[in-house]
Order: sequence, then C-alpha cells, then structure tokens
Amino acid sequence: MSEHENKVGLRAPPAHLRVSGIHKRFGGVHALRGVDFEVARGEVMALVGDNGAGKSTLMKVLAGAHAADEGQFFMDEAPVSVNTPHDASDLGIQIVYQDLALCENLDVAANLSLGAEPVKPGWSFLPQLLRPLDDLEMEVKAQAAIDRLQVRTLKSVRAKVGGLSGGQRQAIAIARAVGADGSVVMLDEPTAALGVAQTRQVLDVVKRLRDTNHAVVYISHNMRDIFEVADRICVLRHGGNVATWRKDETTPDEIVVAMTRGLDDEAGNAA
Amino acid sequence: MQPEHKLSFINRLRIMRETRFGAFVPVLLALAAIWTYFGLAVPLWEYWGDPDAENIRFIFLSPRNIYNLFMQSAVIATLAVGITVVLLLGDIDLSAAATAGVCAALLGVLVLAGVPGPLACLIVMGVGIVMGTAQGVLVAYVGIPSFVVTLAGLLGFQGLMQKILPTGNLNVGDPFVRGFARVLLPDALGWVLALTCIVVFVWMSLRRQAQRKARGLELDSTAAVWGQIVFFGALMLATVATLNSYRSVPLLIVLLMAITALVGWITTSTPYGRSIFSVGGNPESARRVGMNVKRIRVSAFAIVGLMAAIGGIFGASRFGSVSYTAFAGGSLLLESIGAAVIGGTSLFGGRGSVWNAILGALVIGSLGNGLDLSGASAADKLMFSGAILLLAVAIDAVSRSGTSER
Ligand SMILES: Nc1ncnc2c1ncn2[C@@H]1O[C@H](COP(=O)(O)OP(=O)(O)OP(=O)(O)O)[C@@H](O)[C@H]1O
Ligand SMILES: [Mg+2]
Repeated sequence: MSEHENKVGLRAPPAHLRVSGIHKRFGGVHALRGVDFEVARGEVMALVGDNGAGKSTLMKVLAGAHAADEGQFFMDEAPVSVNTPHDASDLGIQIVYQDLALCENLDVAANLSLGAEPVKPGWSFLPQLLRPLDDLEMEVKAQAAIDRLQVRTLKSVRAKVGGLSGGQRQAIAIARAVGADGSVVMLDEPTAALGVAQTRQVLDVVKRLRDTNHAVVYISHNMRDIFEVADRICVLRHGGNVATWRKDETTPDEIVVAMTRGLDDEAGNAA
Repeated sequence: MQPEHKLSFINRLRIMRETRFGAFVPVLLALAAIWTYFGLAVPLWEYWGDPDAENIRFIFLSPRNIYNLFMQSAVIATLAVGITVVLLLGDIDLSAAATAGVCAALLGVLVLAGVPGPLACLIVMGVGIVMGTAQGVLVAYVGIPSFVVTLAGLLGFQGLMQKILPTGNLNVGDPFVRGFARVLLPDALGWVLALTCIVVFVWMSLRRQAQRKARGLELDSTAAVWGQIVFFGALMLATVATLNSYRSVPLLIVLLMAITALVGWITTSTPYGRSIFSVGGNPESARRVGMNVKRIRVSAFAIVGLMAAIGGIFGASRFGSVSYTAFAGGSLLLESIGAAVIGGTSLFGGRGSVWNAILGALVIGSLGNGLDLSGASAADKLMFSGAILLLAVAIDAVSRSGTSER
C-alpha cells in the first residue's frame, strides 16, 4: 500500500475498478495475501509477476470465477460485490482467461455467446432457459467480432473450436471478451500462443480498447510488449503487492528486479 | 502411402461427424448393413441352399416384422433418449432400467388398487423424476461419481421393484395404460401426420436458408438442403407406408417421436440445452461464464428419471404386464445404453443427439429381432450385441478430434 502510494500517489487517474485487501486461499495455499489493485478508464494497467505470483488468481477473483475470501470491490468508488461471473459481467467486467475457457465441442459462434445466448423475441411465456436460441443472431455477432479482430485464417464461425489452432482459439477468446461491450477488459497472457503478426494485432486491439475509454488489464511475461502498451505496471510477488509504477518512470530492468526479488523496503520508501 | 491414406479416411470420418446430418451416417450404415444381411442375404441364402423352397420369404423385411421391430425398440429408445441427455454431460445412468421397472411396477399396483389410469401415469412420472433428481443431487452436490451413484441406484431399485412385486409379475389390464400400445392411428391420419411433418420440415429448412441469405451469413449448399429434405421425406413416407400396410401407425410410436422431438429441440435449440453441451465439453468454462453447473447436472438426471418412467409406462402398455425380467433384471439397461452409444453419443460428454439414440435403438432392436428370426441362440445374440457395441465405441474413439495426435 505504502509503496503503491509512493510510486503513483495522487497523480494516478481516478480508478474505475478498484479492489483492496483481497485474500484468496486454496486449502493450504494462500494465493493472494491482501492485494490492492486498480485500473482507470482509458488506461492499460499491466500486471506482472513471476510464475505463481497470483496474477491469474487475482483476475479470476475480479471476474467472479473465484469468490474472494476477504476484500472490497469498488466501481467508480461505489462499493460493489462480485461473487459470481454474472456479478462481474453485469458490472461490465470481461476477461480472457489464461486457459481460454472455450468449449471445444461447440462451434465458434456458440463459444462467443456462451452464457449470454440471445433468444428469439416473443416467447416470454417460457422461462428464459427454454426459449428458442437465436442462432442466426449469434452467428452475425460472432462474424462481426471476428472481423473486428481480423482473424483471416478462420474460415467459418460454424467451425468447431476443437479443430482450430492455438492462435485461432486465443483470437476467439479475445473476441469473446472484446465483443461483449464491457467497460473493463482483462487479458491474461493473451499472446502466449501467437505469432509475431497476431501478437501485433492483439496489441493493436489493446490500444484500441484504451482509445475507446475502456479500462484494460494486461498480463504478460514479455517486457517489450508491456512497455509498448502499458500506462502503469503493477508488480505482484508471492501473492502480495510489490509496487505500481508509471511506465515512463521505470525501466524493464527495474521491473524484472521487482518481480524476482521484490523491493528493498528502504529503497522503496526513499524513492 | 498406406498410413497416409488411412489417416485421411479417419479425418474424413471426423469431419463428417462434425456436421449435423453427417453424425447420422455411421449408425445409418450400421442399420443398412443389418437390414441387408437379415432382410436380403439370409433369405437368399436359404432359398439357394434349399432346393425344395418354392419362393423367397422375406420375413425380416415384411411389414409385420417391421411393425414389431418398431414396437420392440420403442422402450429401449425411450430410455436411450433419456440416457443420451446425461451422456451429453459426461455422466452415465446405470439405474435407468431399474427406475423404469420400479415405475412400471408402481403403475401396475396403482391401477390394480383402482387409481384411474391417467392419474397413475402422472404419479409414476413424478416418482421417476424424484428418483432421478435424488441421484442427481448425490452426483452434483455431494460429488460422488455418477457411475457409483447410479450403480447403487441400480441395485437399490432392483430390490425396490422386488418389494413392490413380490411375485415378480403383475398383469396390467387398465384400458388407458394399454391404450398407448393398442391404439392405432387411422391410415389416413398417419398419412396426414407424415405429410404435415414433411411440409413443416421443408418450410423451416427453406425459411432458415432465406434468413441466412438476408443476414449475409454463409449458406448451406442447395444440394445439402434438398438432400436433407428428400432424405427426411423418404424416411417419413416409407415408415408410414410400411406400418400402414401391416396395421397402421401405433400411438406409441407417434408419442415416442413427439417426446424425442421435444427433448431434441430442448437440447439443441435452447440456452438450457446449450448449457448441457457446454458442461459436457468443458465444465470449468461453463462455470466461469456463470452457468449453474450443479443445477444443470441435477436437471439432466431428472430428465432421465422422467424418460425412464415413460419407458416403464410404455413397457407395461406393450407387454400388458410388468415383470422383473422385462425391466430391472433383464438386458434393457445395457441395450438402452448401447443404443445411445451406437447412435454416436460420446461417452466422454459434449457430443451426441437424441435422434441418434432412436436409430441406435433400432440397430439394437433389429439385431435382436434378426437373430431371433434366424434361430440364433441367446448366447449368439449377446455376443453379436457386444461386437456391435464395441464397433460403435471404436468409431467414437477414432472420430473424436485430437485422438490421432497421441
Ligand atoms: N484452483 C487452484 N487450486 C489450488 N491452488 C491454486 C489454484 N489456482 C491457483 N493456485 C495457486 O495459487 C498460486 C497463484 O497462482 P496463479 O495461477 O494466480 O499464478 P500466476 O501469477 O498467474 O502464474 P503464471 O504466470 O504461471 O500464470 C499458485 O501457487 C497456485 O498453485
Ligand atoms: Mg497465470
């Protein structure tokens, strides 16, 4: 907390999504130990840390996939609660999971609207779950989302995801989050399976999201990408905060040191 | 050269099974093979082998036998439709036949005690749902594997059925219950029904194609659309013609088709059905998009319980009696699971269709019927059924995407 304020302090933009004191335990593993995190509209917040630092766990907590054991959530400084994926998506929080979370047995269009399937109008006497799916609408939306990402190699939105390449799947997971009209988009290592050209496209998507006033969280191990897109960089270590830097005021070397060794307490406070 | 060729065949099979109608092809081929063998090959063989024979006797393909075949397969098919729903989730239900047995026994006892037929049927369906739901709760909320829960259910319900029917046999004479299997649609009504179905099918196919065009989506090839229509129409007309030329279309078959159409529509065309496929494909991602995985599991077991109860009613109606061996203690369970799997529903979850289960039930029924006609022993029947089942699962395994990479 103190390093955080030291490093960014009052010059930070007003947070759109902010959490504080997040704890998450998995049985004996204390994965998050009182983490503070925030992201503002129109900025890209990079989240970095070594393997097992707790980045993905923090993202899942923000997306409602895991309920936090302790901690507060604020949207535009109003307290909210996020305990289920629906809570998060209702607040406009969208996520690309590190493991993508796609259903390989379903086609691209079905995956893109999974959990929020459009239904045909005029069947209101049936419960929501039993109304007829509007699968044409699904395909139209999917086609639009795919076109926006320019996944040229994808032939049809009716192709089963199980038959696609790793990069195509990643593009679909990204399209699902970006196409859903949220205000917060979190991407957990979205370029891990991508080639140079596709990575460039993802970085462009990230910049475009920032330019359209989204709050973007970007997790990556690639310092070059991070220093290209991020406005601020938040470092986690062993499930706790190390510090948050403005990109312009730090260097990749400093970040790498913070990731691997943490901050020397005195050095941190003196800076 | 050789392995390359083989791989491309498997790949082609895999691609074909991904398409909606392509999934029918393996089970239709199996059906065609069995019908050709018993319907043409065996009679010809007997005719040529026996100099005294006057003319060829096509017993298997006679309308009378086909009629019986349909009726014989109906109970298997009803259970197989229910089992398909839990298989889609990646679970299994070993207790379906025993549930059907308990429900049928209860039905017999109720109508004997003077409960009106319709009410007894409703009660029994409710009981089936409760039995399925209870097992579903144990699977979803307590976390016991469905194999174990339903194995316990199988044993427990077998016992329960014996408790309800101490003599092991009970005649069911209630006219309402018997009516399902006895009532026949007038010939003309059968034709009208078939034609209506065809017209609706054509109208929906063409309307869908027009809507796709209007929205600028990729179109199915015209040949494929009309191929499906011709295939569907030929199947409907041939079925009605055959059934009419012996007696006419039985109410039981119409009900079975209607129920299957309803379950098929729910599983493929509603958000609920989509969530079943999604849980079967990747439960974790279903959970992360906010689906209530546990409740979906329980509801699927409720559906299989309901279908088992309906199967029990149909069975009681067809046999005119309830016996331990016809349901809980006999081969019904393995035949209905076999029917679902032969139809191409994956045991690994996430892939399959209830219509395939109907075709799978016909395969199982035809095999039993054909072997009976050619005088095969019970032992032969078991061994043949085993071989067919193995073949079906083998097709499933090789056509599952990603298998060849291992
Ligand atoms: N579902 C789970 N059950 C048990 N432990 C878990 C679970 N998810 C995460 N953990 C533990 O929490 C810690 C943080 O994991 P997390 O996945 O958040 O790391 P990460 O920072 O995303 O690492 P990476 O860079 O490798 O993706 C790890 O020690 C991990 O073992
Ligand atoms: Mg991670």
